[in-house]
Amino acid sequence: MNCEEARQFMLLAGYGELSFEEEEALELHVASCPGCQSERAGYVSMESLLAQAELNPPPGLLARCRRDLAVRIGEQSSPARRFAFSALWRRWVVHPPMWLRPAGAFAMLAIGFFAARFVPDTSLFAQFAGPAEPASVARVRLVNAAESGQVRVLYDEVRQRELTGSLQDDRIRSMLISAAADPSDPGLRVDTMDLLKNHCERDEVRQVLLHALRNDPNSGVRLKALDGLKAYAREPETLQALAEVVQRDDNPGVRVQAIDLLLQNREPEVVGLLQELLRREENSYIRSRSQKALSEMKASIDTF
Amino acid sequence: MNSHSATFAADQPGAARVRAGDLLAVDEAALIRAAQAGDHDAFERLVRNYDQSVLKLAMNLLRSPDDAYDVYQEAFLRVYKNINSFRFDCSFHTWLYRIVTNLCLDQLRKRKVRKTEPAVVETPEGPIDRLETTPEHRPHADPQRALLSTEIKRKIEDTLSGMSARERMVFEMRHYQGMRLRAIGDVLGTSEEAAKNCLFRATQKMRSALGDLI
Ligand SMILES: [Zn+2]
Repeated sequence: MNCEEARQFMLLAGYGELSFEEEEALELHVASCPGCQSERAGYVSMESLLAQAELNPPPGLLARCRRDLAVRIGEQSSPARRFAFSALWRRWVVHPPMWLRPAGAFAMLAIGFFAARFVPDTSLFAQFAGPAEPASVARVRLVNAAESGQVRVLYDEVRQRELTGSLQDDRIRSMLISAAADPSDPGLRVDTMDLLKNHCERDEVRQVLLHALRNDPNSGVRLKALDGLKAYAREPETLQALAEVVQRDDNPGVRVQAIDLLLQNREPEVVGLLQELLRREENSYIRSRSQKALSEMKASIDTF
Repeated sequence: MNSHSATFAADQPGAARVRAGDLLAVDEAALIRAAQAGDHDAFERLVRNYDQSVLKLAMNLLRSPDDAYDVYQEAFLRVYKNINSFRFDCSFHTWLYRIVTNLCLDQLRKRKVRKTEPAVVETPEGPIDRLETTPEHRPHADPQRALLSTEIKRKIEDTLSGMSARERMVFEMRHYQGMRLRAIGDVLGTSEEAAKNCLFRATQKMRSALGDLI
């Protein structure tokens, strides 16, 4: 085997695509060829760099995709099928999907929290549910007629439930985390953020806040997220998010809060950001705040 | 009867519900046939077997949650509409991934035409590179690492967007989905050999782009 062949095989070996004999021949060559050894080391570090750049869908995206898909499929189907699809759709919410799995069966206790909000066509079920009975029909399982002329209908029902507990409770937290990503209700997101923001010591909660801070279209939600991240402003991840917000958020209120938070820690690496900001920022508060902070920090950095 | 037990009553044997843990044991062909016959439970389970990895592939290929969302919706709607035309002449995974990769290819090509870089956002002050938001100079240990990783991520993203749509597709399916070359070839409607050559090219591009970092 020559070096050129070895390098082709090397790539395939990394992908587990070589036969036993091919792998043996490769190993034999590499063992005696320093050039190919360093070539292989290069592949190994490339792999680890690539792993760092892997993106995971933001929290709540999968749940939103599933929910909306079920609604759209419901719209696609004929009226007769729609009924069944409403049921299908309900069960996607009712039965703990992937993001609720740790909560297990208990998540079902809180179905009302979602079912009432997410059901696409509640009027369909309204006739079944008397005024005193908040339960609604999720799915009809069986219909048969008795000779007496009576009809027997067997159905499942979904009922609003209340779940009470502390934020330490996995079930409560899972519910809140998915509510924080509910695109249909900014008010719910603000309330949820308000609850979650005091529990940033948990990584999953911090991730939700960071994501909301960067992406939530509602500035109220973003402000709550900022509030929650205050204590973590020194962490590189938060620092990065704050820097993005200061430069990009279209709401001056959010930008002001973010810059205050950034400056509160006087990290020298903020200097570059401030300089950049001064070139573009039009908000006078942010400008003067940056200017002042910059001159103070420059002075202190010079003394190092 | 309180509603708790009512909820459980819905799950009794008559409902024949398969729990998540049993999913692997379910014969996929049987699921597909059931879905073709209009069984919505079966369709739901099929979707759930694959939707996480579909979303992840779309997310990594398109690097945008909104675009990944669109691909997810469109792909599974197509599966829903066309499930009856699935003839078992390839695996369901291959069939699904053909749909997904075609949607992603379209999206990537549209982007090339528009010449918009996904990493650049338009703002009233002009375009800003989302990845350029970190300060240039970061003397601390942690921020330095953060900067390095930002730089690496940018290089990787730049290289990916410099690849042809197909090279990128092969590269991502191999690296982030762990798919075999044969399966990648099947999905893209080409031979294993062609997929391999494509992967070589893509990997060479990536290696030389990351050259000074590795
Ligand atoms: Zn060699």
